[in-house]
Amino acid sequence: MQSAKGKVTTQEQIRARAKELLEQKLVTAVLGFREGSLPGTVVPTLVTKPEQSDSLVYDERCLHNLAAYLPRLKHKGKLAVIASGPTSRSIVNLIKENQVKRENLYIIGVAGPEFHHKDTKAPSVRNRSRGTPNPVLCDEMVGDKAAEPAEDDYADIAAFEKLSPEERWQELTEDLSRCIRCYACRQSCPNCYCPTCFVDSSQPQWVGRTTDDSDTIMFHIMRAMHMAGRCVECGACARACPMGIDLMRLNRKVALIVRDRFGHVSGMSLDTPLPLACFQTDDKQEFIR
Amino acid sequence: MTSRIVTKKDFSRFVAGLAKQAELWAPMKLKDADGSRFGRVKDAREVCFDYLNTKLPVKELFFPQRELLFTFKTGTRESVQPPQPVAERIVLGVRPCDAAALLLFDRVFMAEPLPADRQPLSAKEDRKSEIVDCRSFVDPYYQQRREKTTLVGLACNEPGPACFCTALAGSPHGSAGLDLLLVDIDERYLAVPTTDKGEKLVTGLPEAKKADEEKAKQLAEAAGKTMKFALDMAGLKSRLDQGFESDAWDELALPCVNCGVCTYVCPTCHCFDVTDEEHKGKGARLRTWDSCQFALFTRHASGHNPRPTGKDRMRQRTLHKFRYFPEAHAGLGHDPDRRHVGSCPAPLMLCVGCGRCIVECPAGIDLRETLCTLEERIKDAVQTAECKVQKAK
Repeated sequence: MQSAKGKVTTQEQIRARAKELLEQKLVTAVLGFREGSLPGTVVPTLVTKPEQSDSLVYDERCLHNLAAYLPRLKHKGKLAVIASGPTSRSIVNLIKENQVKRENLYIIGVAGPEFHHKDTKAPSVRNRSRGTPNPVLCDEMVGDKAAEPAEDDYADIAAFEKLSPEERWQELTEDLSRCIRCYACRQSCPNCYCPTCFVDSSQPQWVGRTTDDSDTIMFHIMRAMHMAGRCVECGACARACPMGIDLMRLNRKVALIVRDRFGHVSGMSLDTPLPLACFQTDDKQEFIR
Repeated sequence: MTSRIVTKKDFSRFVAGLAKQAELWAPMKLKDADGSRFGRVKDAREVCFDYLNTKLPVKELFFPQRELLFTFKTGTRESVQPPQPVAERIVLGVRPCDAAALLLFDRVFMAEPLPADRQPLSAKEDRKSEIVDCRSFVDPYYQQRREKTTLVGLACNEPGPACFCTALAGSPHGSAGLDLLLVDIDERYLAVPTTDKGEKLVTGLPEAKKADEEKAKQLAEAAGKTMKFALDMAGLKSRLDQGFESDAWDELALPCVNCGVCTYVCPTCHCFDVTDEEHKGKGARLRTWDSCQFALFTRHASGHNPRPTGKDRMRQRTLHKFRYFPEAHAGLGHDPDRRHVGSCPAPLMLCVGCGRCIVECPAGIDLRETLCTLEERIKDAVQTAECKVQKAK
């Protein structure tokens, strides 16, 4: 896809388009990625001058969900943003939740970075949804589309559910007990834009501030609940976690429940209402007895 | 003091010997995740020396993320109970950067009272003894752990791509702050004691030969050479004095998501929060790590926040390390008994160059890049300003 001979790479196309958009003053800045200092790292960056466009990179390393930056860049005017499948789904949610305005965004769609790997054809990124490599909402598409993968079977969740309740609890607590409460998961998540997070509330203090299991588990379970119907399974939280906690297990389980109960897959369309933010007469109500 | 030799064949026996003398702590592999962390060793085989840096620095053994200050029963003063005293400990496998960081911690948590000639002049004669300076406070929790712990270091022969201890007066084979330093020389460890406490751990072991010490010296030199980053720290500090309002901060703070990773994995970050937890008349006062990157960190009771944006908080962390701390600790003398950083040329930065913040940053921010950008941009801004002044004249 990328380095085919004689073909313009996706990265080159992104640079060219960023330059044009800035020169024509169609956007005030382009939110993308630049080279990082350590091998294998890239850094989210905001390019404001056409001549800086060549600092933009796009390849398999560009896994951050750039939508997380959009709510706090609201004051910057109209922004262009590089968006793969999961990022575009997060943007859809942010628009629906009134955090960004559609008309203030110019979405440059690309196939997921995992499909821009230099030498492999079988991308596999831990903790990332296999559902949507291509953007669901964009103003233009740069580079080729990736082949749509088979529908997500949530085999990982099914396997976890086969364990006994005791085994599940043990695995969850062992995993979450490594949490150091740095909130890298929350801060890297496009859904977490609350001005004051429930864990930061001190009057009343809903959640203890220690790293005791009871406090960390409370935080993660409450966060997962807040993700219901909103998480797009981009995996940004799990990749941000310095302690290697498998955060997607909780998020994917919640996403699966929402899919099964409401027939809703998060962030796929601007038109469908958020399932937990609306009431419909055909909602399942068998829990009311 | 005489250097000695521990062969790798005998290493588990050496470790088991240490475990008999005191509680033994060492880096251990994390379960189900990459990396290692200091843990209580029950079996010598659990010790993992295959690490560049532990995920969390050794500070967590002296300044734990969750610390019980005391327990209480509501309604009575008498029922306040201090926590259990800490046992004697040996910590094995401390990297020289982490040990150097503890010397900085000592300045914060247990510096001695200021001598009379450094007391503020305005203080009244009879009140002098009551004056509490931030540098005269001794934290009993930290002090107890520090005094009951013997530190056994492990020299770095292969620093990583994010390491830059040499830029901060450190060394991959440095022994400052340690009681004993182990250097991996092929099939053996060269054990270099730096204190009596350290020497006791290796008495009876065979003495090192000159060739062993020579080999260690070569390794130290080679390791030092792999770290290319160098910055004139005194110059940087004066630049930062001028650059609080520099527009470079906007750019540098853009990728920062304001999580607390950099502060929690940092061996020198030491901010904390204190909370009370109470249930049915029984309670506890707890001290937990806090981070200047969080919005709550400086929010006043009135609701006003002097550092409302991510940029303010990112700048705060950088300036605390490279401007405020060196300012607060400038000119404080070297005290050999307390093993403070003595040979460290001023200014004394609140950073030891372990590189953890660079490796773990979810946005890929590199502190070295940040410092270089600031240095350049502030220099440019100052020069432009000077030009303007000259032209105006």
